[in-house]
Amino acid sequence: MKNLISVIILAILFAACGPERPKVEEGNGANEENAVAENANEGKGIGQVKEVTLNTPLEQDRIPRGKAIYEMKCQACHRLDDQRVVGPGWKDVTKKRKPEWIMNMITNVDVMLERDEEAQKLLELCLTRMPNQNVSLGDARDVLEFMRQNDGEK
Amino acid sequence: MKKLKLISRLTIALSALLLISAYFIPLWQIVMWAPQYPEGLEMKIWIDNITGDVKIISALNHYIGMRHIEVSMFPEFGYMIYIVAFVIGFGILTSIVNRRYMLAAYTALLLACGTAALVDFYLWGYDYGHNLDPTAAIIVPGMAYQPPVIGTKQLLNFTAYSGPDLGGWFFIIAGILAIATLIFEVFTSRKKI
Amino acid sequence: MKNKVLLGTAVILAAFSIYGCKPQAPQSAAIGDAASRVYVPPGQYDEFYNIVSGGFNGQLSIYGIPSGRLIKILPVFSVFPENGYGYSEETKPMLNTSHGFVPWDDLHHVAISTTKGEHDGRWVFANGNNTPRVARVSLKSFRTEEILEIPNSGGNHSSPFITENTEYVIAGTRFSVPMGGKDVAISSYKENFKGSISFIKVDSVSGHMNIAFQLRTPGFNFDLSRAGKGPSHGWFFFSCYNTEQAYTLLEVNASQKDKDFIMAVNWKKAEEYLAQGKGKVEKVKYAHNVYSEKTHSATSTIRNEVTVLDISELPEIVYFIPCPKSPHGTDVDPTGEYIVGSGKLAATMPVFSFTKIQNAIANKEFEGDFDGIPVIKYEAALHGEVQKPGLGPLHTEFDGKGNAYTSMFVSSEIVKWNVKTLEILDRVPTYYSIGHLSVPGGPTKTPHGKYVIAYNKITKDRYLPTGPELTQSAQLYDISGDKMRLLLDFPTTGEPHYAEAIPASMIQANSLKFFKIEENEHPFAAKGEGQARVERKGKEVHVYMTAIRSHLTPDNIEGVNVGDDVFFHVTNLEQDWDVPHGFAIKGANNAEILIMPGETQTFLWKPLSTGVFPFYCTDFCSALHQEMSGYIRISAAGVKTPLKFSTGKIEGEQPTGAGN
Repeated sequence: MKNLISVIILAILFAACGPERPKVEEGNGANEENAVAENANEGKGIGQVKEVTLNTPLEQDRIPRGKAIYEMKCQACHRLDDQRVVGPGWKDVTKKRKPEWIMNMITNVDVMLERDEEAQKLLELCLTRMPNQNVSLGDARDVLEFMRQNDGEK
Repeated sequence: MKKLKLISRLTIALSALLLISAYFIPLWQIVMWAPQYPEGLEMKIWIDNITGDVKIISALNHYIGMRHIEVSMFPEFGYMIYIVAFVIGFGILTSIVNRRYMLAAYTALLLACGTAALVDFYLWGYDYGHNLDPTAAIIVPGMAYQPPVIGTKQLLNFTAYSGPDLGGWFFIIAGILAIATLIFEVFTSRKKI
Repeated sequence: MKNKVLLGTAVILAAFSIYGCKPQAPQSAAIGDAASRVYVPPGQYDEFYNIVSGGFNGQLSIYGIPSGRLIKILPVFSVFPENGYGYSEETKPMLNTSHGFVPWDDLHHVAISTTKGEHDGRWVFANGNNTPRVARVSLKSFRTEEILEIPNSGGNHSSPFITENTEYVIAGTRFSVPMGGKDVAISSYKENFKGSISFIKVDSVSGHMNIAFQLRTPGFNFDLSRAGKGPSHGWFFFSCYNTEQAYTLLEVNASQKDKDFIMAVNWKKAEEYLAQGKGKVEKVKYAHNVYSEKTHSATSTIRNEVTVLDISELPEIVYFIPCPKSPHGTDVDPTGEYIVGSGKLAATMPVFSFTKIQNAIANKEFEGDFDGIPVIKYEAALHGEVQKPGLGPLHTEFDGKGNAYTSMFVSSEIVKWNVKTLEILDRVPTYYSIGHLSVPGGPTKTPHGKYVIAYNKITKDRYLPTGPELTQSAQLYDISGDKMRLLLDFPTTGEPHYAEAIPASMIQANSLKFFKIEENEHPFAAKGEGQARVERKGKEVHVYMTAIRSHLTPDNIEGVNVGDDVFFHVTNLEQDWDVPHGFAIKGANNAEILIMPGETQTFLWKPLSTGVFPFYCTDFCSALHQEMSGYIRISAAGVKTPLKFSTGKIEGEQPTGAGN
């Protein structure tokens, strides 16, 4: 009987300890579940964005909103031509990357820099970690539309 | 007119000479501990002076209405040096004069001095501990702060200890030597009869 | 003969051994599992926030309990060069008063806001004891949001205690003074000096403070106060000393009476008089400073009126209750029924009953009056006295199990006793000379209990010595069992007076991570690098600067002259937690500024000589932090160097960077 109780107590203790562990060891927190890298191979990056539907012609209402966000949160490091300053220039980014990858990079940058090979290559090139600018998914979609316009889409 | 043995004359001389230490080392000590003073506050009484943490003790004691301890409080400091000098002289004289009545007189003198000193100390302590300033900040009804003559006593948050310092112990040894010599003299002379 | 020698030696040895037998000084040590009880493993959180007043440093410090780790120093009434508080243009108005800019104060007490008598974790209030002020600090941003100066006050000590629903914050004058800055003889104390108690209304949504009314009282000193709660909600209790009305050598002259007063204030009655228009509007001058999270700036407004209710003309607001010898703490237990008076010079501790006070008032059981204010008979208000509690009782906290914990300054101990039976249950020494103490939730209706923390005035031999100026300290005791147990000593910043502790769970989740750049309404914000620029307005040069890892824009500035006022308005464009940037420039007669993500802060620099001056980011922000710097060129006065600014632009080459 006593043994049984101690086993139960141990079990409770372990159960109580369980969820704490990954946090302590990996220090990643909320994005952990999104980090399952299944869609990485397809070049979509890692994050909540699994599938983006692009419309032609461009969704005009998104473009000014995306531009405003760009000017406030992105412009300090990204130019609109192909020149790299702190980060790479945005020219033709929508032609080189899948839209999901772009949106994941904007919204889930810490995990991307840790797990996504393409993102890591860019870090090696630029040597500055892209900061998390807390752009929401909707805002990232607007920025994507602005990028498409910048790349000459109509 | 009984004379003394050589050994007795030597011990009496030693007894008297021991008292010379009183001029160089403290005679009495008072130590007080409180939670805030784990290292203790010390007060040393010399033949003509008081040293140690007297200022701190006085500063603390004024809250409960005790007077500042100052050398001028003790007229004893003015004449103690002469009394002790007289006792030392008397002891050496005893050793030279070599008479038993002198030995008895010296022993009595030493004991009288010691007793008088303790009585004097008690009386001072009584006055110091009871004669309080009625306008003191802290007045605990029925509480007096007379320090112990010998031993320890709890006074509010302080544990106070009073006892002889090294010089005091030399005094006690001098007294013991005198008494022992007197007993020895009486005892051996009785045997001869 | 041999025997005698032996005997003699034995006597001498005995004598010396007595000499060595002085009593030993008391020893102290934490015992048993104390270490594991206070150990918070790396990466894990403390159970409580402990918000501790900093006394003469004018700041609050935030500790974790049970570990005793210092987490943050939060500037309130004192300038703080570490983050630019009181140095940046935005925060300077916070320290404005009717006496001008006052860069320091003496912060004694804190009060965490409550709703229905329980912690709500929204704000913490703090008092400025020297230049009378009350501050409100947000427990979301951990920043000082508002400072209100108190007029008609000679020093704000019995403050910032609050009513059950944070309806009011209290500010009672420590020193009585002649009202209206009257020029009178100090010896005319009795006729000219008056006391003043301010009831500051707190807006339940914004938290904004506003003096609803002041009570004009007889002239003596107010020490501490507590609001009633539960049945006694609607009343406030103040300890008063110097009812002798001494104006010199208070140490002696204010300690003469056997009893001073606890002042019971029926503030609901005062509200009625106020509603009836019985208040008199007086001309005064005081500053009200508010910090906006939207504009990231403080504004200081000078106010000129206050409404005063004179208790000598308006009956039934105030009653005096005799309390032995210069009461310090007056503390209300969680039920609201018992009021503990701690006469710091008294041998017993009275506990008053709210019910009995009400009965005594109803039955007019008065022993007389003081300046026309009824004095309730001591016995009529008394629940009972705690006998021989210890020496120098100061403050009492409660554990929610019916026990009280009183700090004893002189005997340096905490005494635990039962509020109802008044029986002493336990006592533990503190090292040394405890002032305030805190049980988590101790002043609320439902104390969280578990620990009592002692805040000590003297540390002496408890820490490695640091010269004559030593740290002060706190000590953590476990109170979960019958006996109190010392667990931990930890040093504190400044001089800790009162402190409160609140479960981390009530604060942690609400803690602000950064300011949204979209919501930044600072008039000089550069919300995006495209807005970075330099503008000249006469002698003023405004630099709209942005900071993001790892560059400042603009980082090359020319066309500025000796004698100009250069305002660096730095906006941190980061939008992530824990990425502050700093800004400093060589030779500035100023501190640095720290700019949180999404925030704009302004650094004023007055160049005094020509040359090129480097500026840089002071907070290590990234691998390229050392590169986050720039130059400003200063030309002699009158020299017309063209105004130019850029980042990443190399003269004679094609531009490779953003900017102009």
